[in-house]
Amino acid sequence: MALGELERDVMDRLWTAGRPLTVREVHEELATHRKIAYTTVMTVLDRLAKKKVVRQEREGRAFRYSPAATQEQMIAGLMLDALGGVSGQDDRQAALVHFVGGVSAAEAAALREALDAVTAAEAAGDTTGPT
Amino acid sequence: MTAVWFAALALLLAGPVPAALARARWTWQVPRAALVLWQSVALAAVLATLGAGLASLTLLFTEQPGFPFLARHGLLQTTLNGLTSFLVAVVTVRFWAVALLVGVRTRRRRNRHREMVDLLHRRESTGEVDRAVLGESGVRVLAGPGRAAYCVPGVRGNRVVLSDGVLQELTAQEVRAVLAHERAHLRARHDLVLEGFTALHAAFPRLVSSRSALDTVRLLVEMLADDAARRRAGSLPLARALVQLASAPGGDGEMAVGADAATRVRRLAQRPAGECGAGDRALPRRGLAVTVYAVAAVVLLAPTAAIALPWLLTSWDFLTR
Ligand SMILES: [Zn+2]
Repeated sequence: MALGELERDVMDRLWTAGRPLTVREVHEELATHRKIAYTTVMTVLDRLAKKKVVRQEREGRAFRYSPAATQEQMIAGLMLDALGGVSGQDDRQAALVHFVGGVSAAEAAALREALDAVTAAEAAGDTTGPT
Repeated sequence: MTAVWFAALALLLAGPVPAALARARWTWQVPRAALVLWQSVALAAVLATLGAGLASLTLLFTEQPGFPFLARHGLLQTTLNGLTSFLVAVVTVRFWAVALLVGVRTRRRRNRHREMVDLLHRRESTGEVDRAVLGESGVRVLAGPGRAAYCVPGVRGNRVVLSDGVLQELTAQEVRAVLAHERAHLRARHDLVLEGFTALHAAFPRLVSSRSALDTVRLLVEMLADDAARRRAGSLPLARALVQLASAPGGDGEMAVGADAATRVRRLAQRPAGECGAGDRALPRRGLAVTVYAVAAVVLLAPTAAIALPWLLTSWDFLTR
């Protein structure tokens, strides 16, 4: 199985767990569906932490992992990064090539609002994972 | 005098020539040839600048050791030569430093973006269009708000990214046109061309031509991808997708279509579909393309031959004497 798919599966577990998980807990969850080594899970979690999509905190002798943000927040952030490239604020970088750039400023503003709304809802109640 | 010619050529290639090229409309007929011309003008400008600096330096130091140059040519010309050398050094170092920075930043942002897309894209299909799109290799769909259609180029793997908003608003045929357009960008490595002109603009943002050069090259690249897409999916779906995605969401009466999008749509309407065959219009266009390629070659090679060769020969003479 590709490493990317595995990272994706681990993220899904962390998102649905709603609380920080240890490597052992993630491994147990994944092992019910497939054969996978404990060290592989450790490597994947380490990679995710390096990418800063997962937070790592020490608890006694073990590490616990939780998502850095909800899936919706991350997707909104990704879209913002994508559309920010057209709006001109970031036009020094030709990183992404868009199909068409039309009302990018308005789009970006709407997205920022959506992102803010998700963040506000997050702060108001049901906080998943520690901050 | 070589240094002066080089400097004049560099100024010409950095100012009036790109300004005129940005205003030209015939380039829209032959975007590929026009892009080659743009690159050749930019490269020739860089070479001419380098040439001006080197020529001034050799003039200062090759006559005889020490500064007999000052005694022979006077204060004014010595100062001018020194100044040219210095200026060229500054310009050259600045350009390559900025180009390097742009390259590093672009790659870092792309890698990060691709990682995040792979981590966050939607895997479950919800409709028929969806199933077809999700099944294609390198295509990723993002759930959530917003409309986005773009590609992430890179040697470690390309991605074409579409958002749910785009899939909901476009028909299957229009989606096919968008995918064909983005694939054309990736196949032809249009990002490399864009990166070069982005670096040029980032290094000399106050040079008026660098802005219009970047904008024009961007538009030409889009037209090139449009041509590839219309061959695969037809002009009409492509134009519809362009209008749909470039117009403001919500719809408060008037359509706010970006200037570039409108230009591209109008161009799609002007040229008949299936123009790749030998129609009445194909022949003059081919002639235009050949002419533009020839001009591009001359722009790059003629200065080298006319100015650089005599100078190289003199330098060689001096070194081997
Ligand atoms: Zn494009």
